[in-house]
Amino acid sequence: MRIAVLRPQVPFARGGAEIVTDELVAELQARGHEADLVSVPFKWYPGARVLTQAFLWRMLDLEEADGRRIDLVVATKFPSYVVRHREKRVWLIHQFRQAYELDGTDLGQFGPSAEDRALRRQVQTLDRLALGEATRLFATSANVAGRLARSTGLEAEVLPHPPQALPYRTAPAQGFVLSASRLDLAKRIDLLLDAAALESGFDVVIVSDGPDRVRLEEVARARGLDGRVRFEGRVSAERLAELYATCTAVFYAPVDEDFGMGPYEAFLSGKPVITTTDAGGPLDVVHDGKTGLVVAPEPAEIARAAGWLSEHGAEAEAFGRAGKALADEVTWERAIARLLS
Amino acid sequence: MRVAYFSPMPPESSGIADYSALLLPALRRHVDVTVAKRGAKRPPRGVDLAVYHIGNDPAAHGWILDALRRTPGLVVLHDFVLHHLVAGVTIARRDGHGYLDAMEREHGVVGRLLAHGVLDKRIPPLWESRPEDFPLTGEVLSLAAGLVVHSHYVEEHVRAAGYGGPVAVVPHPAWPDPHPEPAGVAGVPLIGAFGNVNQSKRVPQLLEAFARLRRSHPGARLLLVGATSPGFDVERRLQRLGLDDEGIVREGYVDEGRLWSLMAACDVHVNLRSPTMGETSGTAIRALVLGKPLVVSDVGWFSELPGDVALKVPLGAAESADLAAALGLLADRPDVRLAMGAGAEELARTTHDLDRVAELQAAAFERVAGGGAVGSAVLREVSEAAASVGVAPGSPEASEIARRLSELGFLQGMLPRSSRVRSKPGEDAGSPDTSRYRDD
Repeated sequence: MRIAVLRPQVPFARGGAEIVTDELVAELQARGHEADLVSVPFKWYPGARVLTQAFLWRMLDLEEADGRRIDLVVATKFPSYVVRHREKRVWLIHQFRQAYELDGTDLGQFGPSAEDRALRRQVQTLDRLALGEATRLFATSANVAGRLARSTGLEAEVLPHPPQALPYRTAPAQGFVLSASRLDLAKRIDLLLDAAALESGFDVVIVSDGPDRVRLEEVARARGLDGRVRFEGRVSAERLAELYATCTAVFYAPVDEDFGMGPYEAFLSGKPVITTTDAGGPLDVVHDGKTGLVVAPEPAEIARAAGWLSEHGAEAEAFGRAGKALADEVTWERAIARLLS
Repeated sequence: MRVAYFSPMPPESSGIADYSALLLPALRRHVDVTVAKRGAKRPPRGVDLAVYHIGNDPAAHGWILDALRRTPGLVVLHDFVLHHLVAGVTIARRDGHGYLDAMEREHGVVGRLLAHGVLDKRIPPLWESRPEDFPLTGEVLSLAAGLVVHSHYVEEHVRAAGYGGPVAVVPHPAWPDPHPEPAGVAGVPLIGAFGNVNQSKRVPQLLEAFARLRRSHPGARLLLVGATSPGFDVERRLQRLGLDDEGIVREGYVDEGRLWSLMAACDVHVNLRSPTMGETSGTAIRALVLGKPLVVSDVGWFSELPGDVALKVPLGAAESADLAAALGLLADRPDVRLAMGAGAEELARTTHDLDRVAELQAAAFERVAGGGAVGSAVLREVSEAAASVGVAPGSPEASEIARRLSELGFLQGMLPRSSRVRSKPGEDAGSPDTSRYRDD
């Protein structure tokens, strides 16, 4: 089949959606499909630009390319699914969350003015319409599917995607908790730093980069964590796999996350995950006392969880093994079979 | 967002006053609402949107229509037929010309002639005899920046009338279940009909059907609760059908507490209507809350009730026979009553959930209050981009851009007022006119 994978692109930013879509294209190609990535830059501000940028997708003609028919498109996140196509499959990574559950929070975008309120509603209307056109509708997690059902009344099938390909392996724990999330406010890496300040039984390694890095480094200094917290920035796949393999546990506690590849990556490395009760998507696979620890989003709770896992190596390993069994079920083979069925 | 809210309010005796009293606390969790004092002519300064609750009763809504005429805004349209309201704000105020003009505006010369007939008392008042044929909704629609309606029936009718602005279908909210103590009225089964006792509530057909039911179910009783409309001789009808106190229990207007209590005592609720003015029934919603099976006329909003909650009786020659059959089924099958009652409760809990309804209303308010500005901003940016690469007004490319914008609903809410409502009777306005934007 000739398949176009659709991805909005925030220039200079790379996160989970970019990884998943790149891998989807590669995996489709590996199975003999002619697949390509269609990407359009996305900027969601100021004012009505969120709509005009979405409108760009509507104006695309993806029925064919270079005189040959495109059999199917796979749209992923807002606003790529605004595209028109007779066989529009949506594998929803997330909607424009500022128009939904983030509205009215620090992470929101729309103010109290009548125009902003209407803008938010127009995004919701657009979602109902564009997602309602999909010939098949999948969501990457129960959390994303639930939000979709609540906000639009549309039902999506839950279809998790495999995490990025890394040379995963398991090795003995070396006494540190790993955070591999992008460094921005929503990932709540502060919680881990504050926890480390409360409990001295573990070190912290933070990889990846993001707009919050400088602030987080200042927080670590202010908490007196010099020597116990290491910021490694962006690292190679090999180094990341090594850190996963040798950590005691992986910390992953964003607010109401869509999906979250972190737990899957941890599990494939045989490591348990520490997450919070309000993390959203990760709760699909991080089960308290089975594949990790799920605690209240409080530094003291995180500290207790990290300390316990550091002291209970056998249990931590068992949690990691149970997580691996779950993660092993999520393969590209299965995902693509359902996506194209 | 600040909203001025024009509605009858308790203690006024009006279903819409009850509706607003129920809705407002939930609505206030979403928007800043200032309720307009009865008789207010304009919304207070600084509000983002004026919301007008319009129904067919001139005593409750005449002043609200007056305010709408001064300051257009969003209309919550509780009835599609507004003939009685229009008559109330024209003829009843000694403005016969106003009535003539309204009839002519919406129904042409024939309308004007009929209106003369009404004014000269040559024909019966049309708001009593044929309101559904002359709904007189046009003026309100022409003033509405957006509409909230309670049924797809009304949505279809306003669209058929040529309304091109935004329309949100928002269900009537359900009251919280007051868990009333059932009144001491017995019957096997006890069938209840609540509301005015008159022709349009199909009371003649109900009495006829009930008389049939009594022949096979002598223990059945019919509870009629509500004031009898002037000129409707219920006693004579009961006598003719041989129905006495053994079969019929009657109560006039009752207060809210007694209403719930009587409703709770019934096994089956009957809620019939014809003609319909497009209204939703507050008593039917209360019956859902109490988990009671319904028998309704197959008209308007009532037709939209799910089949597992309400048995729907078509109008026509067989109406009484069909109604008797429906009552017979429910009398014989407590299991069906139970299943329908469970469906009713579920419907009240979900579709009619108060918080959900408030959220939907707030969404409609927000779309209308700022929708024009959003539409303009989108259009400006797209137009500028198109013009900058040489897309000429009226070109096929410009038409496609307009079509795609319209497809996504980006143009709704900013249509020119003249395109919203057809100006002449019989003219089909069709799809919203976006040619203005093609030429921009």
